[in-house]
Amino acid sequence: MATTTATLTISSTDLLSDELALSTTATLTGAGNSTGLTGTDGLARKTTGNTSEYTLFAAANYTDDKANKVYLKNMSVTAAQYFDIKLGDIQMGRLYAGDWAFFPWNADTGTTPDADVLITPSHSSMTLEHMLFTDE
Amino acid sequence: MATTTAAVTLTSDLLSDNMSVSASTTCMKAGTTADGLDQMEYGLVEIATGTQFDLVCSTPTASKGSKLYVKNHSIDETYYVKIMIDSQDIGRLYAGDWMFIPADFHDANADVEITALTGTNKIEYVLLHEGTALTAS
Repeated sequence: MATTTATLTISSTDLLSDELALSTTATLTGAGNSTGLTGTDGLARKTTGNTSEYTLFAAANYTDDKANKVYLKNMSVTAAQYFDIKLGDIQMGRLYAGDWAFFPWNADTGTTPDADVLITPSHSSMTLEHMLFTDE
Repeated sequence: MATTTAAVTLTSDLLSDNMSVSASTTCMKAGTTADGLDQMEYGLVEIATGTQFDLVCSTPTASKGSKLYVKNHSIDETYYVKIMIDSQDIGRLYAGDWMFIPADFHDANADVEITALTGTNKIEYVLLHEGTALTAS
């Protein structure tokens, strides 16, 4: 069985009076079981050519309600450059320069529209790094 | 300014070549490199099955650089919480899983909603933000 882990550290020495040092590791497993995730689309980068909306992952290509995980990183170094991240027609948030996100994605096709992972760059030429771990 | 760093490391032996991806970001206010996020909420809640709740009860200022971390502390592998934004399914956070996202809170409906399934789930969350609309007493 493959083993995939995701470790997060959030730290700050001056946000609070006491130092913040939060760390956690998850071993990524299938929906409702302890079997490691079995697939990945691999690590890749996409450079956009304009400020249109792009479909990064189409829900219809995956099974609903699995334990998929999505990793995104905005490779820009210009502070004002961001990607709008949407699932279907719902805006999750803006991924600013250097920011990353990691979240579960159930590839829901039971609602309208499908919960496709969509990105819209604020500027025409921006690069997003992405990876999808799947539970297929 | 406050300096808060969020770092991730993903490792996997799914592929023929072992993979290790790391990223780190300093959590800044929207569109700046000079001013870090300087407010936070940090909580731990038990969520009973069945009812959908707003995870963040305050209303962060919309379209800012807010970041949200959520972890499911359950240990039973069948336990999970369903994460939604504005009634759109995002995904299921199973026992031990965590997520870290930019949270836009772009309008009054854009709450982060959470529903526990299978059993009572213990959920930890951190919201780093630029300000909230506090509820007057």
